[in-house]
Amino acid sequence: MGVIDLDGLEVRLGNRIVLNGLTGTLQGQAIGLLGPNGAGKSTLINTLLGFHQPLRGTARVFDFDVRRDRAQIRQQIGYMPENDSFIGNMSGVRFVRYMAELAGLPRGEALERAHEALFYVGLGEVRYRKVSTYSLGMKQLIKLAQALAHGPKLLILDEPTNGLDPVARQRMIQVIKEIRKEGSIRLLISSHLLRDIDETCDEVLILKDGRIAALRNIEEERNSHRNFIEIETVGATEQFSARIRELGCECASFPGGRIKLVMPDHIEARDLYVIASDQGVQIRRMNQRRDSLEDIFLRAMDNEVGRPEHVSV
Amino acid sequence: MSVYKHNYRAYTGEVTPLWTRVLVLARYAFAEAWSSKITVALFTLSLLPIIVFLIVIYLANNPIARALIVKGNSAGLEVDARYFFQILQTQSMIALAITAWVAPRLISSDLSDNALPILLSHPISRFGYVFAKFIALFSSLSAVTWVPCLLLFAYQGYSSPQPWIGGNLQIGVGVFVGAVIWIAFLSILGLALSSWVKWRIVATGTIFAVLFVPAGIGGIVTAILRTKWGFLLNVPFMMSVLWRRLLGVQSFSFAGESIPISAILVMLALACVLCIAMLNARIRAREVVRG
Repeated sequence: MGVIDLDGLEVRLGNRIVLNGLTGTLQGQAIGLLGPNGAGKSTLINTLLGFHQPLRGTARVFDFDVRRDRAQIRQQIGYMPENDSFIGNMSGVRFVRYMAELAGLPRGEALERAHEALFYVGLGEVRYRKVSTYSLGMKQLIKLAQALAHGPKLLILDEPTNGLDPVARQRMIQVIKEIRKEGSIRLLISSHLLRDIDETCDEVLILKDGRIAALRNIEEERNSHRNFIEIETVGATEQFSARIRELGCECASFPGGRIKLVMPDHIEARDLYVIASDQGVQIRRMNQRRDSLEDIFLRAMDNEVGRPEHVSV
Repeated sequence: MSVYKHNYRAYTGEVTPLWTRVLVLARYAFAEAWSSKITVALFTLSLLPIIVFLIVIYLANNPIARALIVKGNSAGLEVDARYFFQILQTQSMIALAITAWVAPRLISSDLSDNALPILLSHPISRFGYVFAKFIALFSSLSAVTWVPCLLLFAYQGYSSPQPWIGGNLQIGVGVFVGAVIWIAFLSILGLALSSWVKWRIVATGTIFAVLFVPAGIGGIVTAILRTKWGFLLNVPFMMSVLWRRLLGVQSFSFAGESIPISAILVMLALACVLCIAMLNARIRAREVVRG
């Protein structure tokens, strides 16, 4: 059993099919939900929360069916919506306490946890101010605090860094990392920022046009391309590429003397310098890098649509 | 989590039963309704007629006071069905004013702050949300309608020298049923209209307008077409006809008085169905995309 099991999930809004036959099991500690605008990320989250009814198929959260066990699912979930969503004329602590009580905490416990959650996300000093007077960053944090206060098993964060300045963003990422490290909460983080997902998640579900474009374990994906090297050369690049291909490297040349290659285990960086010396090619820069989330994302998006067409492999 | 360590800790304590979440929403809605000084002022105002009616009941049942005041003509101090009809009518108008003020506070602010996605992501249904707001409004209105009316009824029964309650039970039941129908209707109407108007003041005006503008139209229809059915658009009038029948008050010889009870109830039911449809369309965690 995964955290979220999707089985042919199809959701229609109006006349448009927004999610089209999603099937897969999400079981990471922190699951990233990626995709371009309109791919169906928020619709998937709303369906998991029971806001939308599946037309066909089903989705299960902790083995609870989204159609039948809506209340049980919501009991397990803390949800931080993408847009502003709060009760402006309540103080921060009253708002978080209210949400905790709705999630099932007794009154005393809810108040205690509300104070703790607000201190935890860094809003302790402003907890008696009305929520409507909070800055954008504070509003993001109070949404996180209310999602955390009742101790959910799954925390769903929809665009958690939306509209945050770099410092606030870093703070948010740090909090998410701490929650992940603590280990009692699974995370589902929807974002269009690859960097956010890259920093916080270990599994990624990439959606495109309402379908699953990729479902990957980010760590495994990175490790599968351990010898991925990017070099910048000056000189006879084509001949140089041909020679290193003869060594058994997979290699792609780009304009400006840039070459990306995957080296087999028996080849070392020193061999490249030897060949370059033979060919009279200067290696100006060499980056040994792991496959980034961006690479995974671009591969998933229609066979790496972002890459130049003249790439030769 | 702890305040001084700033660490997260999972919650391992007890969780309240699912059905009590509606009561949590209702409690916070009730607190929100009564946090306004205007609500308190309206409630205080609603007690003034009750005090006057109470004094009249006292005087009506006090032989010395009667002898001094009425001097042989006791018609002005009769505590009967018509008297309780007047109490009910007065309190019902105050209930309308309270609805117009309180209902938008319960729903409009949730909508203008877009609080529904967060509220409904908890184990509470849309029906539960509306029902909780309904409970808060209905109980607030009860405090100014049937509760004081029945207290006056009980006081009249207590202070009357003859056994009074047994012979006038229809008045007590009529007051209770009539008030409950009215405040239930007002609660649904107030919530439905508030869910469509984000600005509180506009919502307040809309609630009055929706009751009194159709009443005017109904009057025009009645006058032009020379039919009694135009009165069906006049909700306050329909309610007064209903209350008269429930309390057993003799009707005036007026065209609208002959409207059957069933027609009034059907009209109220239709209005409630429309309100529920309005609530169903608006009380959603997300806007539904059409097309």
